[in-house]
Amino acid sequence: MFKNYLKIAWRNLTKNKAYSIINIGGLALGMAVSLTIGLWIQDELSHNDYFISKDRIAQVYQSQTLNGQTDTYPAIPIPLEKAIREGYGDNFKRLIMASWPNDLYLKYGETNLSRPGNYMQREAPELLELQILNGEKDGLREINSIMLSESTARALFGKEDPIGKIVKVSNQYDLMVTSVYKDIPFNNTFHDTEYIIPWNQYLASNEWAMRAATEEQWDNNSFQMFVQLAENTTMKGVTAKIKNVKKNLHEDTAEFNPQLFLFPMADWHLKGQFENGKQVGGRIKYVWLFGIIGAFVLLLACINFMNLSTARSEKRSKEVGIRKTLGSLKGQLIYQFLSESFLVVVFAFIVALGIVLLSLNGFNELARKEIQFPWDSINFWIMSILFIIFTSLLAGSYPALYLSSFKPVQVLKGTFNVSRYAGLPRKILVVTQFTVSVAFIIGTVIVMQQINFAKNRPVGYNKEGLIQIPTFSQDFEGKYDLMRSEFLASNAIVEMSSSSSPTTQIWSNRSGFSWEGKPEGFQEDFTWTVVSPEYAKSLNLKIVEGRDFSREFASDSLGVLINESAKKYLGMQDPVGKFLKDDFDEDPNSGLKIIGVVEDMIAQSPYEPVKQGLYAYDRFNYSSYYNLRLNPEKSASENISIIERVFKEHFPDIPFEYEFVDEQYGEKFASEERIGTLSGIFTALAILISCLGLFGLTSFVAEQRTKEIGVRKVLGASVFNVWNMLSKDFLKLVVISSFIAIPIAYYVMNGWLQEYPYRVILKWWIFALAMVGAMGVTILTVSFQAIKAAKANPVKSLRSE
Amino acid sequence: MLLKLKNVFKWVQSGGQPIFLLKDINIEVEQGEFISVMGPSGSGKSTLLNVIGMLDQFDEGEYHFLNESVHTLKEKHRAQLYKQYIGFVFQSYHLLDDLTVQENLEMPLLYKKFKSIERKAMVADMLDRFNIVGKKDLFPVQLSGGQQQLVGVARALISNPKLILADEPTGNLNSKQSEEIMELFKQLNNEGVTIIQVTHSEKNASYGSRIINLLDGRRV
Repeated sequence: MFKNYLKIAWRNLTKNKAYSIINIGGLALGMAVSLTIGLWIQDELSHNDYFISKDRIAQVYQSQTLNGQTDTYPAIPIPLEKAIREGYGDNFKRLIMASWPNDLYLKYGETNLSRPGNYMQREAPELLELQILNGEKDGLREINSIMLSESTARALFGKEDPIGKIVKVSNQYDLMVTSVYKDIPFNNTFHDTEYIIPWNQYLASNEWAMRAATEEQWDNNSFQMFVQLAENTTMKGVTAKIKNVKKNLHEDTAEFNPQLFLFPMADWHLKGQFENGKQVGGRIKYVWLFGIIGAFVLLLACINFMNLSTARSEKRSKEVGIRKTLGSLKGQLIYQFLSESFLVVVFAFIVALGIVLLSLNGFNELARKEIQFPWDSINFWIMSILFIIFTSLLAGSYPALYLSSFKPVQVLKGTFNVSRYAGLPRKILVVTQFTVSVAFIIGTVIVMQQINFAKNRPVGYNKEGLIQIPTFSQDFEGKYDLMRSEFLASNAIVEMSSSSSPTTQIWSNRSGFSWEGKPEGFQEDFTWTVVSPEYAKSLNLKIVEGRDFSREFASDSLGVLINESAKKYLGMQDPVGKFLKDDFDEDPNSGLKIIGVVEDMIAQSPYEPVKQGLYAYDRFNYSSYYNLRLNPEKSASENISIIERVFKEHFPDIPFEYEFVDEQYGEKFASEERIGTLSGIFTALAILISCLGLFGLTSFVAEQRTKEIGVRKVLGASVFNVWNMLSKDFLKLVVISSFIAIPIAYYVMNGWLQEYPYRVILKWWIFALAMVGAMGVTILTVSFQAIKAAKANPVKSLRSE
Repeated sequence: MLLKLKNVFKWVQSGGQPIFLLKDINIEVEQGEFISVMGPSGSGKSTLLNVIGMLDQFDEGEYHFLNESVHTLKEKHRAQLYKQYIGFVFQSYHLLDDLTVQENLEMPLLYKKFKSIERKAMVADMLDRFNIVGKKDLFPVQLSGGQQQLVGVARALISNPKLILADEPTGNLNSKQSEEIMELFKQLNNEGVTIIQVTHSEKNASYGSRIINLLDGRRV
């Protein structure tokens, strides 16, 4: 019986090729979108699944409250380690201190690399579940050892055996390779840990870190702590125990109410956002967003299927009648039509697989993923079968119920008029489709607008023609003035400065200042950047009040530039000449003299107001980056090759690395742009699918009304009249859809925008545009069939009756 | 007795007034009869046939078919009943365009859950009997009207029904084709199949053993 059904279905498909292509093509597109999104969601949800004890691993986080505003971050102070190990050590199976992943230079022989890695304590290989390929498992025992990832080892040593070899790090100290571990997969928080150096080496080679340890600096929150829970403990239970450790042990910071807690690994990737001390989700919202988009696109494709199937019912009604007179029960007909949908869905699924395979690379690039097609995953295939069955039921149920309910007496007599029966549900389905499409259009346009709005926001400095060179090695110490004059002499740059953070980021925040008029109990917080005197000049950062740093005034070394936000924050009408007293300095007369106010420059989020900031004179020649303003009279590549040559002359052992500041700035939009691009693509596909359906639908409607059109033409209707008659019906539906979609889209997008303090104002024309756009597409789609029908010779259509 | 209609009424409401399609119909049909239903257009011939065929309901009266009271049965049971005992032949043949002759013949057997091997045998038998073996792989559109109706009759017969209902079986055929179909009916009737046909033609009616005349839904 099933074979017989499939046979009929197959012949139906091959007989009506155009119909089949529209039907299978539309469904395949919809399924491909859902599949891709499904793979993406699976990838997001399986983040860190590499860890067998994912549920037992956590990072220690800290919340502190300043002026009623609670901030939460993963940074903790060093003395916490001792306090926790001694007081609460039995709650943990493993506990490690770690630095932040950072790029360091690794050198072996002639090979010189810059790679991200981390300093960690001895138990790291076990906590990170590293798979040791070569060498010893306990690879961090000795202070002068280093563990390398497989790919780093290969890049550094090629085919040589790396174990026991000496690697020079940052041109500073020699470490012996103790083991090589398998690369940590991409889909993992630690994937950029390409080597691990013992924690003690970190302290030994970074004076400030060593000081934080020896002086027990509780207020220096510059370190990370990862833990693996002991048996018989829970995250909540341990959090309750350690919550107040810092507050109780360190009186000075107690006023900020430091709250410690365990942030479970399972939440790191998707739920890592905190607002006022509360966990408020994070990336999970994009999982939902794309999940909903996927579901809607699939729904659109299924609606196409329903509409086309029911529109064709006139053709199938005779078959239903005959089958019923030959003894078919309603249930058997439902079964038959469902098997037909099943067949179509299976075909569509195969096509969708093809589409996914072809587009996966492009998608990975867009979404910054490394998703592999899960050929060997049984779960994937089980899910796929369920997906096919679900889609068949979703697409096929309504047509099956509708078609199987025909009365044989009516359909066989030929007095049966289908459109009267199917009109309303089909209209509702078309309205649903266009509601989704219009809402998608509006959403995409608003996302794009918001990105452009933030992109066009003045950054406060000139980011074009500016490059930055990282200077993390000690080799750079004391070389700034020399390098500046060398670079200037080479004529490749017109100005240069150094700074303690890159131009597009803030690495340091400071408090502990008093000033005239500071309110009692005010808990201040500034961004803190140490810069060379040429900073503003090299960035083209405008001085609005006072003056820039100058080498001519020796006293400028205790001067500070503040930004406009800081001026407001300090509450000073005329800040130039006033002092910011450093609370930690013993000398009561010391302080930083404000010598000028610079324009606000965006170093952090382009969606948020610029934070109050201080730019201090670099007294100790301490820099992390050189900022070079390229010579505008030469091409960038020419400038850079000169810079590289000069750089190599002075630092032959350090790889020459540079970044364009405007590109780094562009990175700030990457996440939103990805969402914008992806939702743009999905919207385009959603519209395409809806139009495919509409195209098919119009062709059937035109066919159904052939006789009517013939009669009308004989009675004098023009082509335009007929076109108008056929198009109007659909346009009405689009207008209704728009009025449903607009409030929904407004509500959702307005909510999305609320996350951005600096956001675009929603204008009515966006909504009008979406509606007009949808109408335009509808007219185009419908017109093709409508004009064809309108131009047909009425004699022909009337004779065929 | 094969079937019996007792005081059967069927009406539709139109503008608040009932219009009677069938009015107080009483019919008894014995096995082996060949009955022709005649009457002008709109007299209720087809309606009567549909009621007998259980495709259509009636509003009042009783209908007994082989000791079953059809008017009390649920749709599902009615379908079981007619699928087992009744074969239909239509004026416009109503073959499934997407199926070959052979597959069209096979279809009623599928709904009766015959095994594949039995179906094959029965279809081959029927093709042989109607002399259309050579056409078994053709689609309906490739056949003439007479041939299509031949297939239609074969399809109605394939599951050995007790009763064949034919609604103007020759209405779309020319006189020669008509004659062939009527001869076929005659022959089937001689073999013991009960036939009820609706017809306009006196000549076709003359093949039957009895004529039921209808006018405005009433027997005359």
